[in-house]
Amino acid sequence: MSNLNEENYEEERGGFVFDNVTRNMFMETKGYQAPIAMKTGTTIAGVIFKGGVVLGADTRATNGPIVADKNCSKIHFIAPNVYCCGAGTAADTENSTALISSKLALHRYSTGRQTRVVTAMTLLKRMLFKYQGHVSAALVLGGVDLDGSHLYTIYPHGSTDKLPFVTMGSGSLAAMAIFEERFKDDMSEEEAKSLVHAGISAGIFNDLGSGSNVDLCVIRKDSVEYLRGYDQPNERNYRTSYVIPRGTTATLSSTEEVLSKQLIINELDDRMEVAP
Amino acid sequence: MSEYSFSLTTFSPSGKLVQIEYALNAVQAGSTSLAIKATNGVVIATEKKQPSPLIDHTSLQKVTILTDHIGMVYSGMGPDARVLVKKGRKQAEQYFRVYKERIPVSQLVREMAGVMQEYTQSGGVRPFGVSLLIAGYDESGPHLYQVDPSGSYWAWKASAIGKNMINANTFLEKRYTKEIELEDAIHTAILTLKEGFDGQITEDNIELGIIGNDHSFKILTPSQVKDYLDEVE
Amino acid sequence: MSILEYNGGAVVAMLGKNCVAVASDLRYGIKNTTVGCQMRKAYPIHQKCLLGMAGLATDVQTFLEKMKFRVNMYKLREDRDIKPSSFGNMVSSALYENRFGPMFLEPVIAGLEGDDNTPFISSTDLIGAQCFTDNFVVVGTASEALYGMCESLWKPEMEPEDLFEVISQCLMASVDRDCNSGWGGIVYILTPDKLITKELKGRQD
Repeated sequence: MSNLNEENYEEERGGFVFDNVTRNMFMETKGYQAPIAMKTGTTIAGVIFKGGVVLGADTRATNGPIVADKNCSKIHFIAPNVYCCGAGTAADTENSTALISSKLALHRYSTGRQTRVVTAMTLLKRMLFKYQGHVSAALVLGGVDLDGSHLYTIYPHGSTDKLPFVTMGSGSLAAMAIFEERFKDDMSEEEAKSLVHAGISAGIFNDLGSGSNVDLCVIRKDSVEYLRGYDQPNERNYRTSYVIPRGTTATLSSTEEVLSKQLIINELDDRMEVAP
Repeated sequence: MSEYSFSLTTFSPSGKLVQIEYALNAVQAGSTSLAIKATNGVVIATEKKQPSPLIDHTSLQKVTILTDHIGMVYSGMGPDARVLVKKGRKQAEQYFRVYKERIPVSQLVREMAGVMQEYTQSGGVRPFGVSLLIAGYDESGPHLYQVDPSGSYWAWKASAIGKNMINANTFLEKRYTKEIELEDAIHTAILTLKEGFDGQITEDNIELGIIGNDHSFKILTPSQVKDYLDEVE
Repeated sequence: MSILEYNGGAVVAMLGKNCVAVASDLRYGIKNTTVGCQMRKAYPIHQKCLLGMAGLATDVQTFLEKMKFRVNMYKLREDRDIKPSSFGNMVSSALYENRFGPMFLEPVIAGLEGDDNTPFISSTDLIGAQCFTDNFVVVGTASEALYGMCESLWKPEMEPEDLFEVISQCLMASVDRDCNSGWGGIVYILTPDKLITKELKGRQD
């Protein structure tokens, strides 16, 4: 009974569960290492231009030395006027941005005002600080609000920077080399896009943890343009088409389960009149 | 909560829960709200009578958004409704966090009705003094639900709650057609409100909320309300 | 030794034309000892959705029961089958709950979605970071070999019959180069009107 109740409450419980921690630590003492989680080795970056912010990211996710996802999406939605690039443990960046996005939605409903970038930044840094770096998300947060354009970096331990051009992730040095050379104040949108594109490309081609495509996100005062696959410099251009004749594979048995056809009931006329 | 708190809602010998009936009385005393489900959306409308001309009417809001595609209005006690709004919004976000999918209207209604039921059976609390009209548009089309203080809920084609509900419901029964479209439904909603309205109806003393097949619930601004008022003149 | 190698196992999911397939090996081992060769590692969640899992068998079984519970509760509550993509999100959030004491398993999800049966596949790591692709996903001890095989053999728009040959050849070739998986295999092919299950003849060493 108590077990059933636990399950019932489970979905509303929220927060982390530490049930397996002791067991996992014990197993580690016996020589069984915990597996590694998916990382986004990553080059992420952002610059402020005259009318807004351009965010950029590569699209490679890695699992140790293996490329786990060739085209993952690292620019996350925070609010209609705020987006966030994530580097670090993929699950952490994904979930911390989604959590804060959700909190900001509730905040918008109760205040009836547009989200400020600084609010998003504060919620993120407070959450990351609370977990003392164990939630390993390194973020580039950008957006436009009533105070203008803002660009922040947020480190996994909860410290933040506010700068006109930023890079993060394992490819940050490659990207920053480009930014330091070419950034100038009050660039046009096109200049900013090509600068971020060049920075991310430097990461893609020079950092092993970054790869595949360039994603961009342009946030202006009244509009957002999410350019997924803005540049695809690493398309697969080889493919030998092996043909395996049907019946090649030896099978021991084969069964077919015919799926029951779903019965579609047309809407009844008085469906909505339910007796009180 | 203390170990020794008892539910205030207990059965009378005849099998009634009088606290719930009193809660319904609180709803009856509240200003009229109504909603109409059209083929391509839902409209909800409510009276927003000001007890004094000195009140800044822009601070009053009775139609609220629960989540992008669902909105609601209440009749009865405003503060009680706010508690439900808060819980409803949180539930919608929670659902989205787990499934990355918008909550179906029926699910949100069930959750909110569940909260209201809990308050009829828990210790140390009283039932909510509100009835809700919840309107939304999801994958399976437009929906309109009414929830009462007991926690019971129904799906309606059109419904009115609050002070003038009996007359309003009679009016709606006469006017409602199966093929009604959203624009017509808005007009009908205004006419229904007008029927039992004490004094002159203006854009400042009624409120309208609509949801169409763009799946986005909107509260109309006073100037938008005025345009509709002019149309039904 | 990684804990994922304790029991061994390999799972792969692939996308075809209006169909999806999930294949797994059948070995159940404890370190280097093979103790069973009838262990399927993919499970139908409902008519249009399959869940495959590789990793520590105790966690796989516990997690499977937990997911069955949640899916059944969803069905009762909402009076409809969960969409494969929503199921993927449900799995992901359940795994992330255990972020600091993870379940040692990696799931793949495959299914047909909506009225037009759009094929869907995804995988996650052990703490629920999702990976969506439009070709194939692999997990388990043979994953490196599987990546190589799938990259070579997979092609777009395969009919169910061809998808079966491709996924089977990928699986069999890969597990033959992995000590911790093999001992035959099982393939599920899901089309809009039927679920085909085929047992593969494989090496027993």
